[in-house]
Amino acid sequence: MSTGGAFGGNRGLRPIPPEKGIFPLDHLHQCDTEKKGYLDCLKSTGHKSEQCRHLSKTYLECRMAKNLMAKQDMSELGFSGVTELDSIVEKER
Amino acid sequence: MSWSKACRGTRISSYLENLHRTSQSPRTSLCSRYYTHGACKGNEHYLRSKRVFWGSSSSWSLNSHSATAKSMLASAHRQYSTHSPTETKSQKMLYYLTAVVFGMVGLTYAAVPLYRTFCQATGYGGTVQRKETVEEKIARHSESGTVTEREIVVQFNADVADGMQWKFTPTQREVRVKPGESALAFYTAENKSSAPITGVSTYNVTPMKAGVYFNKIQCFCFEEQRLLPGEQIDMPVFFYIDPEFETDPRMDGINNLILSYTFFKVSEENTTDTVNNSSSVPVQETK
Repeated sequence: MSTGGAFGGNRGLRPIPPEKGIFPLDHLHQCDTEKKGYLDCLKSTGHKSEQCRHLSKTYLECRMAKNLMAKQDMSELGFSGVTELDSIVEKER
Repeated sequence: MSWSKACRGTRISSYLENLHRTSQSPRTSLCSRYYTHGACKGNEHYLRSKRVFWGSSSSWSLNSHSATAKSMLASAHRQYSTHSPTETKSQKMLYYLTAVVFGMVGLTYAAVPLYRTFCQATGYGGTVQRKETVEEKIARHSESGTVTEREIVVQFNADVADGMQWKFTPTQREVRVKPGESALAFYTAENKSSAPITGVSTYNVTPMKAGVYFNKIQCFCFEEQRLLPGEQIDMPVFFYIDPEFETDPRMDGINNLILSYTFFKVSEENTTDTVNNSSSVPVQETK
């Protein structure tokens, strides 16, 4: 947008802070296994996020358990249809 | 019309007759003649002024002189009388112009908040109107059952400010995601120096216009992150692309998004302090 350029539009929109805030850093590497599982899944499926969503869900659940993330219902975060069964179905494919 | 003028003339003429009784000039006859022609209002002034200036002479020659004199006087009188209007006029102009100057300066100061509220109200120039949170958006879309088909490739980029001894890379090169699906991504940062370094990061999304639809649910940016010497850490980003991305005609050719993070150094603690205080062994992680 040419008119948006006048207001710093060319330099990009001003960064917006994340909705739920900042992830506290996992200094003690408590959720490493879940993270590894998710990353391996991504590599194997050609980086398709859809097929690895269950693993990202487990990672977030791990974070919530270890007090590294605010506890919240997973459906609110968009994981309403994702269950462990899905992962089996995906693997069979 | 001439009758009314004549009436007026008679009234004034009677008044003038009283006036001129002292002067005893034949001008009254002249005046009456002027009256009948309906042009004696001004002459009244002329006559009065003439009386003041020339006493009570009553010859025709003087009259002719007086004609020119009258005109001269009138013009002089006019000049004198119009002096004050121009003065007040120019003063008024001065006040008006000063007011305009102050008005302009005030407008420039007021423009900043005014523009901001205007942008927020209309969303002009890509200003994001933060009306609903991501959770609300997700809930809304899951309820309405929007199905998205377009697969978007989100690539990751990581940068470090000059002189900062961190190794900062994305853990995965890219993630293929559909709008409406929340996705998780990781970045890895390692402190390669011998002192704890605190950094803060900022991000941006390319192309710019797609940035409006890129919602970050949670990330590690905008807050100081401290890494001990040699420490390696994984930083997750949890994001969500709005399904409205698919319906927007401006996003037709866009299938690639690049999320770029840059880390800037905040402070670097003195090595002497850490040597004296720290007793912990720096954590070494090999992956």
